[in-house]
Amino acid sequence: MAPYTLTYFPIKGRCGALKMLLADKEQQLKENLVTREEWMKGDKKASYLFGQLPKFEDGDLVLYQSNAILRHVGRKHGAYGKNDCEASLIDMMNDAVEDLRQKYIKLIYQEYETGKEAYCKDLPNHLKPFECILSKSKSGFLVGDQISFADYNLFDLMLNNKVLCSTLLDSFPTLKSYVDKIAARPKIKALLECESFKKLPINGNGKQ
Amino acid sequence: MAPYTLTYFPVKGRCGALKMILADNGQQLKENLVSIEEWMKGDMKGSCLFGQLPKFEDGDLVLYQSNAMLRHVGRKHGAYGKNDCEASLIDMMNDSVEDLRLKYIKLIYQEYDTGKGAYCKDLPKHLKPFESVLSKNKSGFLVGDQISFADYNLFDLLLNHKVLCSSSLDSFPALKSYVDKIAARPKIKALLECENFKKLPINGNGKQ
Repeated sequence: MAPYTLTYFPIKGRCGALKMLLADKEQQLKENLVTREEWMKGDKKASYLFGQLPKFEDGDLVLYQSNAILRHVGRKHGAYGKNDCEASLIDMMNDAVEDLRQKYIKLIYQEYETGKEAYCKDLPNHLKPFECILSKSKSGFLVGDQISFADYNLFDLMLNNKVLCSTLLDSFPTLKSYVDKIAARPKIKALLECESFKKLPINGNGKQ
Repeated sequence: MAPYTLTYFPVKGRCGALKMILADNGQQLKENLVSIEEWMKGDMKGSCLFGQLPKFEDGDLVLYQSNAMLRHVGRKHGAYGKNDCEASLIDMMNDSVEDLRLKYIKLIYQEYDTGKGAYCKDLPKHLKPFESVLSKNKSGFLVGDQISFADYNLFDLLLNHKVLCSSSLDSFPALKSYVDKIAARPKIKALLECENFKKLPINGNGKQ
């Protein structure tokens, strides 16, 4: 029986990293898919605390906010650093990934036709800090010597940006090998190759 | 000797909640103020991990990202819930406060002259979930029976909104009494009345 349930649209969207973290930790996930049509009716939307999806359930605990969900699972499954100091650094890294995810989301949903080129041209400026951090990391992860929820989040976002700006990682050798290394983790590889994951569009408007 | 150092612009901005949680926990804070002129020179910006302020130091630990700082201080000073379940709920609440803060920031810096009327009209929709959460919680805090970093963050943001949309809390009795209650906490009251804090503009462009 799956202890975890996710209610979300039939897209990867803000749940890619969560699914990767759960898969990598061999956790089952029951998924409830909500179509746009159903969502637009309004009843479901009104029943959710902040009127948004995803919604995540762990027994009686109901969580909204994708980063709160990542932190929850990270906390439970040893992906939140080995002490408070590492936890704070992981928080910082995840917040920086979220900043970049918001830029990505804004482009996809609001400015795709007119803004894509400028976005891809500007993207290296936002990748430089991560390239720098990872080149200094002995473990190859963002913080400490273990993978954290911030790594799954950055990895997921890099996959999206590779689709959007195809030559993106060419000038970032550390980021490139980081993405390759995480993609090669057996359970991540299995997830990325599995039909139900592959078939999901990245975003809700079909753009990528 | 102050164990904590904050480097930031001379504004309340994204550091109001941080100063409140530190003050409420009797913690000293050394502040380095950076003027816009100095910032525009570029050297300091170039030295910041993600090219942004605030920057927070706790001994050897250097943190960027205002919410990572709030989590760090919350973790150290018992303002992150009494167990993992509460921690996750607090994360969710803080992320929702951050969602509203982003809307506020967008209005202030990008759309103030044309968008203020519509923003204040739409604001009740975003306050309703917090009103609902607070009315259901006996302690009067967002999660559990103690104040958390998410409370300081919401409180700070509500103060900003009282300035922007003066009657915004009139139809939200739980929020109104929440703000009054937190503002009356002796060390918060002292901070709000102290010259150094009062003289700071809320935002960097002088709008409020």
